[in-house]
This record gives sequence, structure tokens and C-alpha cells, in this order.
Amino acid sequence: MAVFIALTILSVAGLFLRQSSLRFRAATAPAPGEKEPAFSRPAYLAWLKRRSRELRSKEALARGWTALKAWTAARYPGPLRWIFIALSASFIWQAAGGFAFAFFSPRGIFGLPLLVHVGSGGLFAINLAAMMFWRARDYGFNGAGTASFEGFACPVFKSLSRRTLGKAAFWAFAFFGSVQIATALGSMLPVFTFEAQRSMISIHRYGALAVLLSAVLFADLVLVPFKSGETNASGDS
Amino acid sequence: MLRKADSNFLLWLIGVVGLAVPLAAAAQTAKPARWDGSRVTPVHHIPLKDEFGETIVPTERNPLPFSARTTCAPCHDYDIVRKGRHFDAGRFSPAGRPGEPWIFVDERTGTQIPISLRPWKKTFRPADLGLSGWDFTLRFGRHFPGGGVAEPAEAEMGPGSRWGVSGTLEVNCLGCHNARPTQNPSEWAKQILRENFRWAATAASGLGEVGGMSSRLAPTWDLFDGPNPDDTEWAVAPSVRYDRTLFDGKHRAFIDIAGQPGDGRCLACHASSPAEAKKFDFEEDVHTAAGLACVACHRHDVSHAMIRGYEGEGKDNPAVLSEEFTCRGCHLGGRSAAGKKVLPGRLGAPFPKHFGLPKVHLDRLSCTACHSGPIPAREPGRVRTSRANRLGIYGIADWVQEMPAVVEPVFMKDTNGKITPHRLFWPAYWGKRDGKEIAPLRPEEVHEAAGDLLYPEKPAVRILTALFYAADLVGVPVLVMDGNSYSVNLDGGLEPAEFPGGKKGDFRWALKVDGEIRPLVPDFDPGDEEAAAEPEIFIQKLLEALRTAEAAPGEPVFVLRGYQYKIVESQVEKTESPDDAGVAEGRFFWLGDGGRRPFLPDFERRTISALAGSGETLTEEQVRLVLEALGREAGAAGRGGSGDFVYLASGKLFALDGRGAVKAENAEAAEPVAWPLAHQVRPARRSLGINGCTDCHAATSDFFFAEIRGRGPLRSRAAMLKPASAFMGLGAPYHLLFGASFAVRPFFKIVLGIALAAVGSVLLAAFLIAVGRGAGLIEKRR
Repeated sequence: MAVFIALTILSVAGLFLRQSSLRFRAATAPAPGEKEPAFSRPAYLAWLKRRSRELRSKEALARGWTALKAWTAARYPGPLRWIFIALSASFIWQAAGGFAFAFFSPRGIFGLPLLVHVGSGGLFAINLAAMMFWRARDYGFNGAGTASFEGFACPVFKSLSRRTLGKAAFWAFAFFGSVQIATALGSMLPVFTFEAQRSMISIHRYGALAVLLSAVLFADLVLVPFKSGETNASGDS
Repeated sequence: MLRKADSNFLLWLIGVVGLAVPLAAAAQTAKPARWDGSRVTPVHHIPLKDEFGETIVPTERNPLPFSARTTCAPCHDYDIVRKGRHFDAGRFSPAGRPGEPWIFVDERTGTQIPISLRPWKKTFRPADLGLSGWDFTLRFGRHFPGGGVAEPAEAEMGPGSRWGVSGTLEVNCLGCHNARPTQNPSEWAKQILRENFRWAATAASGLGEVGGMSSRLAPTWDLFDGPNPDDTEWAVAPSVRYDRTLFDGKHRAFIDIAGQPGDGRCLACHASSPAEAKKFDFEEDVHTAAGLACVACHRHDVSHAMIRGYEGEGKDNPAVLSEEFTCRGCHLGGRSAAGKKVLPGRLGAPFPKHFGLPKVHLDRLSCTACHSGPIPAREPGRVRTSRANRLGIYGIADWVQEMPAVVEPVFMKDTNGKITPHRLFWPAYWGKRDGKEIAPLRPEEVHEAAGDLLYPEKPAVRILTALFYAADLVGVPVLVMDGNSYSVNLDGGLEPAEFPGGKKGDFRWALKVDGEIRPLVPDFDPGDEEAAAEPEIFIQKLLEALRTAEAAPGEPVFVLRGYQYKIVESQVEKTESPDDAGVAEGRFFWLGDGGRRPFLPDFERRTISALAGSGETLTEEQVRLVLEALGREAGAAGRGGSGDFVYLASGKLFALDGRGAVKAENAEAAEPVAWPLAHQVRPARRSLGINGCTDCHAATSDFFFAEIRGRGPLRSRAAMLKPASAFMGLGAPYHLLFGASFAVRPFFKIVLGIALAAVGSVLLAAFLIAVGRGAGLIEKRR
């Protein structure tokens, strides 16, 4: 469990640093004669502080809420929006409960919270399936966007656009979401040995981390505009 | 006068002998306990020695009993053996997790107190009850293998004991290791009861026949006094007559030794079986059925540090490699106490796959929770154990006692925090309260204060016994009362039997003839002189017999339809009694100074009826009266009043309230005493959960919601009642909800399956499209 906790902290922190530093770079003008803005740690920290203060303001929250409503209204019109709401709510509940118990209870999740966790897992599964049917087509890989991983040395990542990455996050969310459903279902069926059951619990735990990371990445890339006036990863302004 | 040379020789001789004797003794006892590698049990063709180390010659007159201490010592270090778990009385071996305590039982006073020589929770030390090592040995020696408190050093022999007469009870090596079928636990128990401690091993092994009883000898008797030629009937000193066919010409006896004792030796003291089961219906442990012996897992070396085989024993007792001999050690593999990984499958133990079993079960439950003991029922079942209920001792006397009522399985957390099936019983005793502390009273103290309150059957027994000797009586006199008929049993108590056609309110003295109940006095008209002549002769015989009843409180009289019969100067006197004109069925009374008194007073009648056939020995009314009596006696002695005395039973504390009524309270001291059960292990196909999760996780599950009611000697409605989940420390509402969730789980699984199939199919389609595009197949098609 200690490995899982350490990995969770490191990976979430790493994702946060990576995404925030990219945003910092985008928000910083390059020095005269330079193609790319130079990364300065004090400037980054100052930006981070300013940005977090901005995001805490009522106006920012209102803007975010408006943007989210507009985004969902465009993709999940009418009754379909309930799919998004139910999926988001069940995911947030699952993640909050699961990680809280993983972090603070040596036994992991148990008792009534486990019962609710399993129940809301059903809701998550149904809505993930519905979303895949209605909206998966939107995340096909065609067309290119602005490169997002310029800072990476690896040419594959370097050439990935934010849009592509956002779509990849969607598919990762779907894939690891299905892993979560499979491991939950598998542990309810009397077909796997005890050792397999134990492995499934581990897979479920690490799968949850992968779902969380892909959801955070997706939200950052797709839902939050990268720069003022710039389109987000899905091509909307 | 000795010459100088002679005296020098004498000094030399004394010196040599003085040196040689201790050296020889040391050579005899200091053999190292090391296995030479041979797997053969040596043939024990050895001289038997008495407690003084002298070789026993069976043909001698009055040979002494053999002593294991001296007979076995040349090869086995007795001082090491006596520190083994079975014998050391908790002085050397670690206590470990709680095991079955000894239970001090006195049925009459409703006393059942857990006693242990080990510091287990909720048990009393013998000294707490004023029991000396002598008392303990005499009471529990029947199932005790000797050593420890039963073999005290001279300095430990307290006053009031009779060790000087009985001898000490040495470790009974042959009790386990004698392979001869003559080894007889019943004989052992009888010898203990006769206080023939030093003779018990000889008698029980069948090496010799022991006669006489130490218990009848004067406390001044000594082994060297030998038999008393003046008394060959009553106070006969114990003596041995050895089976000479076992000895050779050099006085060596052949002892058939089993290095690894058979199960029967263990079961003599460690058996348990359901109280209501039939012998043929009893199912043995699956390991036994597979051919394993008890000692296959419960091993030890010469130290006799037994492996008990529970998880965590390695921590309690690092000297034993016990983790390898737990369920997990053999079946799953595990880590030994030394932290070394061991492989599963020891002794061919199958590796369990536990299909579909969520991990939490192995984290929170012991293996025995699903695999051992009886399958949970609506109420835990009563079980008899060898030591608690005195099983396995056979003879003319009936040794089995119904008390205490031990029940199983009750699932509770073990010392390692895992839910484990337990056996338990509720302690019951009279006590004196001092703040929160309750000091138990010894049954003798209660008897002294309560007197006949504890013997409600006595008046009826006296009358039935007197009637039994009435002249010309054909049949057995019985008391018909409230739907039962009662006759006197061999122990001088009342034996209830169901009386078909009987009903509540019945009360009459009758005769049992060929199983049929008939009136004691056939109906007749006392006014009809001619017809009454013969019955009146019979009545005279009955009244004459009744006059001889023990402690008769007056003259017996018989009353019928306005007439009274009474013996006056050896003749029956018939007088008119108009007040009895309405008495249509004959009745007996005692006629004394205060007038007529019923043969069976109301208190005795109520008590006998209430307790008939219940296995209980006290009513709440008796408790009230005894508490008052204890208070009166203490008050008279200036030691407090009724309010200081309590009775604990069935999970409650009973005391008198301000109005003199009995009230029941919860009290920690009344809580049950429990110990984990490990056997009988059931086959995997009969384990809990084999039918699925709903074996336990259901709204009506016996595992979680069995009703556990306090049992004990007291007949009371106030007994403790708790659901099984409360004993596990779990919340019943949650498990009710969790169990109920299994009603919708099949549907839930279908929903999850459909969702998974839907998501999977989209993912697969996306993957194929991506691969197609990567390979250029899709563009090509376009």
C-alpha cells in the first residue's frame, strides 16, 4: 500500500507540475531574440501563486461553471447531460472514497462506504458505456493541433498536440474505466482463484490511479482553455 | 575397637561410595536429549523402579507401584519432561491464546467457575477459590496427566492435604505413550478419586492390579506402614499385584511404547461432541479421516513443548516451529517463527484455490471460521467436552455431568483479531460484591447458609422412599405432578418422566406398575363399612410405612370423602371429618401440633415442577431465598447484608433490590468465558460459503444473526440474549443491509457485464480502426 500511496502522490504531483509549467510557458512571453520563453523557477512559482489566487476568486469559479455548462450543453444536449452529470458525480465519489480509504485506512475501503462504492460503481459503468456509445466518435484521431510536449526530448511526445493528448486522455479514461468495471465484476464472480482475486484488487487500485490521472489530464486539456482566446483541445473556443 | 588400617579402609570405602553414588545418579539422569537419527522406537524391555529408585520385583510381597520419574529417567530427562505444556501447570511454558479452562462444578448450588493454572482472562486461579494443589488434583486429576501442582515439592504441601498418604501424582508417561490396549483412563480416574495418586499410573497402564483406597486410610498412614492386618474390608491400604507375564527372569518388564501416541490417548482428555448427537452420526475430523494422527500436527520433542497449531503461536512461544503446523503453514505455506518461508503442501495438504473469495475473508477470518466446528444454526448447539463434562470415564457410577452447558460455534475475535469459532460457557456462582469486585463463594459456604433451600426434592424423596418399603405394595411409588411423574433414582434424587395424559395442576401420589400409572389407593367409599374394609388395611400399611419417613414432621394421615385415617397404637383409626367431605380423591397430610401440613409444601412443589427435565438446578425464587439466607448469616456475623451477595448466571448478575425482589443486571463478571475451537475440521465441500456468499451474507444468516442466549443452572427469562454479530464486535444493521444487497447482486452483475461489454466493444472498435489506419488499410479501402 505504501508503494501505491507514494506512486499516487508522485504521479499526481508530476502531472500537476507538468501541466502547470506548460501553461506557465504559454503565458510567458519569450525573451527578445529567443524562440521559446525561458523557464524561471521563481517566476513559475510566482505565476502559480497568482494563478491559484485567481482561480479561487468567485469570478473564476463562475467563469469555469459557465464554460463547463456551455461545453456540456454542446456535447450532451437535453437528457444526455444527465449521462455526463452521473458519470462525473459517480467518478468523483468513487475516486474520493477509494483514495481516501487507500490513504488513511490500513484495511482499504470497507463497510458501508464499500457498499456505496460498489453501488456507485454500477452507475459509473452504465454511464461510461452510454458515453462511449454517444460520444466516442468525437474523439477520433484525425487532424493535428498545437504541439503540447515541446519540452520533451522524446520525439513521439514532442509531436503530440494538446488536442491529440486530450483525445488520448479520453481513451485512456475509457480503457482504465473498463478495467475498473472488469476487476470489480471479476471479484464478484466465483471463477477466479484467491490469488487472482488478490491481483484483481491490485489492478483495481492501480487502474483507479490511471483513471484519475487521465480524467485530470482530460479536464485540463479539454475543459479549461489553454490561453485566453485560444481554442481548447477539442477545437472549441 | 577398630584397627587403624581398618578405619582407614572404612574411610576409603565411605569416600568411594560417597563419590560413586552421586556420579552414578548423575550418569543416570544427565543423558543428553539428542536424536541419534534412528526412526525406530526402541523396545522398552526395562526394569520398573519404584519412587525410591529400587527395581521392582513383582514376585515380592507388597511391591510398590512403579514410578515414571525413576523408571524413565535413565534415558529421558524427567526434569525436562515435567516442564512440558501438559504438566507444568503454567509455570514454565507460555500461556498462549486461551484454551479450555478447568471448570469447577457444583450442580446443587448452581456453581460453574472457570479455573486455570495459566493467566487467561476471565478465569480464576485455584487459590482464588481456596483450592490447594491437593484439592485441584483430587477434583481434576481424572483428566490431568500428573506433574505440576499434582507433584508438589515437600515445601509446597500445605496443611489439610493428604500427600503423605496418597503420594504425589507424577507425570504419567504411559498415559499417552503406552501402546497396550490395557491403558485405561477410567481406571486412572477411579484411582484419583480413591486418592491412590502414586498407584494410579500402575493401575491405569494395566501393568498391575491395584486394590485398596488411600481415601479411607488415617492421615497418619505412611507407605512403609504397609497393609493393615486388622482391617481387610474397609480401610484397606493400596497394594499392587503386577502382571507377572510381562516380566522376564531379570525382572525386566516389556512396556509397549508408542513414540507417537494414538488419537485415543489424546481424546481421553480432549474429546468433544454435540450433546444431542448419536454416536453413529458423529463425523470425525477430515484430517483424521485422511489418516493423520493428532500428533501429526501437534508435535513436540522431549521438552514436551506441544505445538498447539494456532496462528501467531510462534510469537507466543518462539521455541516451537508452530507456524509451519498451522492451517496456513500446511495448506498455503507461510512464514515460520524464524521468518523463513515454508512451502505449502506439507503432509500432502491440498492448496486451496478459494474461487471467488474476496481477500478480506482471509484477512479478517481464521481458517476455522469456515472450515471447523458445526455449521452455524439459529442457536449455537450444546457440546460436551471430556474435561468439562467428565467424559470417557466408565464404570458402575455415571461420571458424566450435564453442567456446564458449553455451546459452539460462537464466532468471536481471537487474540490475533481474526473472527474465529469459539466454544463458550457462562460462569455461574454465588459471590460477595465489594464495589466492582465479586469474590466467588465456595459451594460449602452456600450450602451452609441455604440448607434445604437447595434440596427441594428432599420431602418428596423421603415420602417415596418410605412408600417403597410399604408392605404388599405392587409397583414403584411415584409422584404425579404437573404433567410429569417422579420416581426416586439411584442417587437419591427425583427422576422426572413425561406422563402421557398428565396436565398442569395434577398432584397425587401414585404407583407405577409395568409402565402404567395407577392410583396409590384405589377409589372406595369410606362410608360403606363392608367395601372399605380391604382398602383400609392397605391404608394402614401405607401410613405405617410413612411414619418411618426420614425427618417426618408429624403423623401421616389419609383423608377421603369426610373421613380421616390415622395410626393410633398400631391400628388405623378412622374418624369423621366433615370439613373433608368434598375431598373426592384421597390425600395425605402430616398432622402435627400446628394442624395439618401438606406432604409437599408449595415452595418445593413449584421448584420441582419448574426445574423438571430442564437441566437447570435453580429457580429465581431459590436465588432470592438463598441471597436472603446468605445476608442473614453474614448479618449475624457482622459481615454485611443481603445486598452484598449476588448470583451470576446466564450472562447476568442477580441481586436483591430494595424491595427484596431479585433483579438482573449486566456485569462483566457474568460475561461468557470463551476459547477458540479448532476441530472437527470439515471437508472443503462442507465449508461455510461453499454454496456462495449467501451462506453468511443474507438477511437471515445464522452466521451473523443467530440468537445466542445465556445458559446456565438458573431457570430465568432474564438470561442474556445477543445476536451473533455482537459477539464478533460487528454491527448487525450493516450486515443486515450488506446481506440484503445480495438479493440484487445477480442483477447488478448482469448490468456490470453489459456495461463492460458495451465499453469493451467500443474500445475494440476504436482499436481496430486505429490499427487499420496505422496499417493504411482503412485509407486504402477509401
